[in-house]
Amino acid sequence: MEHESERGAFEFTGSWREYAPIAFTNLLLTMVTLGLYSFWARTRTRRYLWSQTRFIDDRLEWTGTGRELFLGSLLVMLLVLVPIAALNLLAGGLVLQGSTIGRIVGVLLFPLSYGFLFALGGLAIFRALRYRLSRTYWHGIRGGSDAQGFRYALSYVGHSLVGSFVFGLLVPWAMISMWNERWNAMSFGPYPFRSGALTNGLMRRYLPFYLVPLMTVILAVLLAYAVGLKAADGQPNPLFVIGGGIVLYLLFAGLLGLVGLSYYAAYFRQGINNLTLGHLEFEFTARTMDWLKLTLGNAALVVCTLGVGAAFVSYRNWAFFVRHLRAYGMLDAEQFTQSTTPAPRQGEGLFDSLDMGAF
Amino acid sequence: METRVWHYDGRSGQRRMPAIVPGADERYFTLHGDDADPGPYAFADLEPHGTSHHERAFGLKGRPGWRITFMEFPPSEIAVQLPKPARYGKWIDRFGLWRSIGVLAVLAILTVGFTLKLPPLIARLIPKSVEQRMGRLMVGNLGTYACSTREGNAALKALGARLRQDGDVTIRVVHAPMVNAVAFPGGQVVLFDGLIQNAASPDEVAGVLGHELGHVAHHDGMESLVRQYGLKLLLGGFGSNISGYGNALLNARYSRKAEAGADGYAIGRLQAADISPLPTAALFARLAQQDKEPGNAGLLLNYLSSHPLSSSRERTFKESARAGATYRPALDAAQWQALRTMCGDSPSR
Repeated sequence: MEHESERGAFEFTGSWREYAPIAFTNLLLTMVTLGLYSFWARTRTRRYLWSQTRFIDDRLEWTGTGRELFLGSLLVMLLVLVPIAALNLLAGGLVLQGSTIGRIVGVLLFPLSYGFLFALGGLAIFRALRYRLSRTYWHGIRGGSDAQGFRYALSYVGHSLVGSFVFGLLVPWAMISMWNERWNAMSFGPYPFRSGALTNGLMRRYLPFYLVPLMTVILAVLLAYAVGLKAADGQPNPLFVIGGGIVLYLLFAGLLGLVGLSYYAAYFRQGINNLTLGHLEFEFTARTMDWLKLTLGNAALVVCTLGVGAAFVSYRNWAFFVRHLRAYGMLDAEQFTQSTTPAPRQGEGLFDSLDMGAF
Repeated sequence: METRVWHYDGRSGQRRMPAIVPGADERYFTLHGDDADPGPYAFADLEPHGTSHHERAFGLKGRPGWRITFMEFPPSEIAVQLPKPARYGKWIDRFGLWRSIGVLAVLAILTVGFTLKLPPLIARLIPKSVEQRMGRLMVGNLGTYACSTREGNAALKALGARLRQDGDVTIRVVHAPMVNAVAFPGGQVVLFDGLIQNAASPDEVAGVLGHELGHVAHHDGMESLVRQYGLKLLLGGFGSNISGYGNALLNARYSRKAEAGADGYAIGRLQAADISPLPTAALFARLAQQDKEPGNAGLLLNYLSSHPLSSSRERTFKESARAGATYRPALDAAQWQALRTMCGDSPSR
C-alpha cells in the first residue's frame, strides 16, 4: 500500500529559523549549567529533527529523554572510566615501586587497560546505534536489537587488529565487515536489517592515502632543490624555507582531507546501498563533492560565528543525511508490528564519554 | 461535532482515524470507530509527545508506541484535560526560562568560584607530615649537591634566625649555577649557589630568602601542585611522580597574587629584622638589566621567568624602605664570606 512516491520516501521539512530558538536556548542553558544541560539539549534537538523528517506518510518521532542520557553518562563514569583511571594509576605505581614482579604486572596492565578501552569503543558504537533505533518511532513502531553488543565489541578488537596488518591495507575490509555485522544485528518493527556491503571499489579510494605522503616528500625535495638553485651564495632565504614548509603542510593536510572524504563517501554509499529492511531497499546519494560542501560549510559556520554556529552543526548533518537518503520498495502496515527487542534502559553514555557523537 | 484523531495502537503500524469522545466521567475518554480499541483511557495517563504548534501528539503511559494526534485544535472540553507539552525540561518549564537562566547563572559563577578556591583549601588540608615527606622526596636528588661547611652552615642559620624562620623550615645551598631559589612543600627551601654568587650583598640574599619563606608560610608550593595535578596528586600516591612534581615547582609560575603575597611577607620580615629592602629592589633591577645583555640570557632567564619581574614589584620593595631607619647588614663580612665560599672557593659558574 505505502509506495515510494516521486518526491522521495524521505523528506526533511525543518527550517533553520524554526530551529534557531531551540539551538540558542540550548546553548544558553548549557552554558549556565556548566554543560549539564547538554543531555537535555541534545534530546530537544533530536526531537525537532526527527519530527521534521517524513518517511512515506508519517513523521519520525524521537522518544529518548535527557534524563536517560544523563544517567547513562553517570553510569559509564562510575562503572568504566573511574576503574580505568584507578587501574592506570595502580599500574604506574607498580612500575615505579621497583620490585620485579610489580614491574611486570604494571607493564602488562597498561596494554590491557588500553585494549579494554578499545573494546569499549566497539561496544559504544553498537549500543549507540541500538539506542537510537530503539528511541525512534514511526507509525508507533520502534527499532532495536536483541544483541547486547559484547560479541560485537570483541569482533571490533579483532577486526581492528587484522585491519592494521600489512600497513593498514585491510582497513576498508575491516570497516565494511563491522558495518555489516552491526546492521545485521539491528531490526525495526518485525523486520531485521540485512546488510551485504562489499569492499568493491573502496580500495581505489583508499590507496591514495599512501600516495599523499609520498607525493609530499617528492614535492618537498623538488622545492628544496629549486630554492637551493635560487640562492646564489648557497644560503637559502629563510623566508622561502618557512613559506615552502607552510605551503607543503597545507597541501598535505588538504589532500589528505580530500582523500578521506572521497573514501568516506564511497564507504557510506556502499554501506547504505546494500542495506535492506523487509522489502525496503535504501540508497545514499551523497558524492564526495556533497560531503566536501557539508564539511566546509560546517567549518565556515563555526569559524565565522566564533563557535556559536556549532549549535547548528547537528542540524546541518541531519538534514544532509535525510536529503541524500532514498528508499524503494513496499511496506505492509498490517504486517508492520511492534518490535519485540528489549528496550535499553540507558542512553548512549559510553558513546559520549569516548567522544564519538555525530548528530 | 466529532473530533477525529490519528491513532496508532503501538502493536501494529496500521493507522486508524477514530473519533475521540469524552466520557461521562470527564477524566476519561474513549476512541470510536475505524477498528480502534475503544478504551476507556484516562486523560491523566496521556504523555505529551507533540513538537509543533499545529499538531498535538500524545502517548499513553505504559503503552510504548500508542499515539493519538490531533490534526487541529481540540474542542475546549478535551483541551482542558490534555497535559501541557514539556518545552525546556520539567523544572525549567515550571520556573520559567529566564528566571531559571538567571538563577543557574548565579549558581554557575558560585561553582566556578568555589572550584578556583579549591586548590588552596586542599593544600591546607594536607597533613603536615605528608607535606614534609613530600618535600624531602622532592629535594632528594638536589640534596646530594647541597654544600656544607661549618662556617657556611652557621651563616645560613644566622640569616634564617634574622628572618625568624620557623623551626620546621630547612634551608639548603645547592651547588648549581642557576640564579634561582625554590620553596618545596614542607618548608624545604633551596638556594642555588648561582644566586649567592650573583648577589652583591647579603641583604639581597635575605630578600630572596624572605620571599621563599613567604611561599612556605602560604603553602604556595603545595597549592601550585594541587592546581597542576589535581586529584592525581592525592590518588596516585605522590611517590609515583616525584621528580615530575619537583620539576614543576622549579619552573612554577605562581599567580600574581601568590607572588605579591610572598613579597609582602619578605618585606615584613626584612623590616622586623632591620634589613634594608633597597638591595633586593636593586637585585631585581640588575637581573632584568643583565638579562638584556647577550650571553647571559640562558642563565638568568630561569629566575625571571618563574618570578615575573615587573617594575611595580621593584617599586614595592623600594617604597617599603623607611627614611631615617637604621638598617644593619643581614650578615657581617665574615659570615657573608663563609656563605659565598660554601660551595668551594671557585665560583660554581
